[in-house]
Amino acid sequence: MKLFAQHGYGEGDKVNNGLKDGLISGVIYGAKDINPDRLETRLEEIKRDFPDAGRLFDPQYFVSLIGNDPNIKLGKLDEYPFFKARRRGQLEANNLVAEEIRKVLEFQAALPVTDIIAPNILISRSFDSVEAVISKSFIRQTRKIFDEFKVKQPVFATLAISREALIDTTELESFLNDITLLDSPPDGFYLLIAARDVEARYDIFNADVIAAWMLLNYSLKINGFKVINGYSDILSLFLGAVGGDIGCTGWWSNLRTFSLDRFAPETTGGRLPVQRYLSINLMNRITFYELNALRRIVPQIVNGLAKDKAYENEPERTVEILQTWEALSSMLESMAHNNNVSKNLNKCADAIKLAEELYREIKFGYRLDPKSDDSHLEPLQEGINLFKKMAEI
Amino acid sequence: MRFNLPTEEQVRQIFTQFDEIKFLKEGGFKAVYKVSTKGNIEAFKIVFIPVYGQAEITTEVRKESLARVKREIKILNDCKSPEIVKLGTIQPTNVIFGEQEFVAYTEEYLSGNNLRELIKEKIMPSEHEVRLLLLSLLKAIREFWSLGVIHRDIKPENIIKLGLPERNYVLIDLGIAFSVIDTPLTFDTLHRMPPGTFRYLAPEMLQPNFRESIDFRSDLYAAAVTVYEYAAGQHPLAKNEDDLITTLSRIIKETPKSLREFRDDLSTLIIQIIDQMLKKIPALRPSNLNMLIKNIEDTI
Repeated sequence: MKLFAQHGYGEGDKVNNGLKDGLISGVIYGAKDINPDRLETRLEEIKRDFPDAGRLFDPQYFVSLIGNDPNIKLGKLDEYPFFKARRRGQLEANNLVAEEIRKVLEFQAALPVTDIIAPNILISRSFDSVEAVISKSFIRQTRKIFDEFKVKQPVFATLAISREALIDTTELESFLNDITLLDSPPDGFYLLIAARDVEARYDIFNADVIAAWMLLNYSLKINGFKVINGYSDILSLFLGAVGGDIGCTGWWSNLRTFSLDRFAPETTGGRLPVQRYLSINLMNRITFYELNALRRIVPQIVNGLAKDKAYENEPERTVEILQTWEALSSMLESMAHNNNVSKNLNKCADAIKLAEELYREIKFGYRLDPKSDDSHLEPLQEGINLFKKMAEI
Repeated sequence: MRFNLPTEEQVRQIFTQFDEIKFLKEGGFKAVYKVSTKGNIEAFKIVFIPVYGQAEITTEVRKESLARVKREIKILNDCKSPEIVKLGTIQPTNVIFGEQEFVAYTEEYLSGNNLRELIKEKIMPSEHEVRLLLLSLLKAIREFWSLGVIHRDIKPENIIKLGLPERNYVLIDLGIAFSVIDTPLTFDTLHRMPPGTFRYLAPEMLQPNFRESIDFRSDLYAAAVTVYEYAAGQHPLAKNEDDLITTLSRIIKETPKSLREFRDDLSTLIIQIIDQMLKKIPALRPSNLNMLIKNIEDTI
């Protein structure tokens, strides 16, 4: 599985440095945080400097259904020619859906992107809903409309699902049965799993959600689709184990978990979070202070990779994302050459066991911050078990 | 609701062009004879059409029976794939044998054993044979689906091994084929079990509303069961001592053992494909037939 940068506010040199150091294989720009001119410039620059890197653009069309909210923060999104606030009822008409897809694809067809991401709405409540029908309409029409543009890049249908909808496995199976048998299928899917808000870590670190997300990857891959997982962060390891092709993460918490909350008004007065270090063996981020306190007592929490050097003292803030990409890439590399899902899942389970052991050692003499603790491990293991049951592995 | 099997003599009286007639088999509403006309050998099929007024017979049953024959003929006419049986020289004709009505027509005569006979011989097929069978079935399913058709009765009894370079295995009997394009034929769907042979029914066929969502992946499942049975010498789920309910319960709930447990000499590719095609959720069966066929052909 490859790792891509999930772009957001304040790109700076982060993407360039990530590509230069070989920590990421590409980037997915988000419409909210870059204007159309700058987007084109950045795509051209990356194409020139890193010709092998993936260059994608997420049109974030799903925001259109909340676009009429007076408090919404659209950022640069409303500078894009395809963006317009819509009501659900309008999108029940197939011809408007086709028109919306056409506008988004037309915009991207003129850009130096390596792959094209088609628009879609978010299925916010259930697969048995009007939203799901509209979403399927977007997916069904993507290929046909894409073919009008006669461009060579692969096209990805967006599939954005709330965690509430995702955990109804009966409905999920039925939805999957539909989208894996399309007359004119896209080349792949850009999967987004939405939490209620970006800080609701346990919305996503939940066994049912993890298992269902894995099932989506597994099923789509079996059926010959490429799968890009947006905002998948650490879960990329598990999604890659069952067939996912690309995982993404970025430099803010709202680029590690997908939520429409990103478009809610920002609360002011917050302070910058403490820099964190992604420990491969803990499968989690711990604060710099925790790393400092524990690195001699439990040396296995240190990755032994190049960016560790920057954490010998309090690191510069820009280093944090590079360290994340480095650690995550290293984790994903361990799965890179093995198409055997059972073996991959065993590797994941072994990694969880090791993390549990290390956490036991840490607990012996140290109290971790709640975000750094081991509460993610149980849902990860349970998620694997549930997935294996659903997929009969 | 049985029919009286016409004797060879009764058939000869109506179809005087036949030089030779030999009864081969009967099953359900059908009987098959081997016939020869001026050296041309064909399979002569008669399909019983129930008559309104007999016990249990309603106009709907009669209509459905006639429509099924018509559909089978139409599909056979449209199919060009060598993996599917071809129609013969006699076009569908209504005939009366005794006092019973039949539709009679011919198909090409396929000289070879059916897969059930080969399984009974307990000879483990080679990897090459398993691949050829799998390829033949996948190509047949692909051809059916291009016409919006699901065979619904893929099983060892309906596959003939010809062993010819361009025609290794041939699929026969489209009597209960389902079209997702045409008007449904089955009446009283709420009170009738799905047609097909229970041991080869895909799990989704056992859902009450299966006609709404059925697609060729049900055929993929049945094909996988058939190839598995041929390769392993035993059905992946059903056991001979099981009653119907137990078999159906196994189909819905039980995960079959990997083919690897019986045939560790087979390649990982073949094992993985068969195991994957046996998944209970249709979306977990590989549906990209072109890719699947190419993968197998590339490694032959």
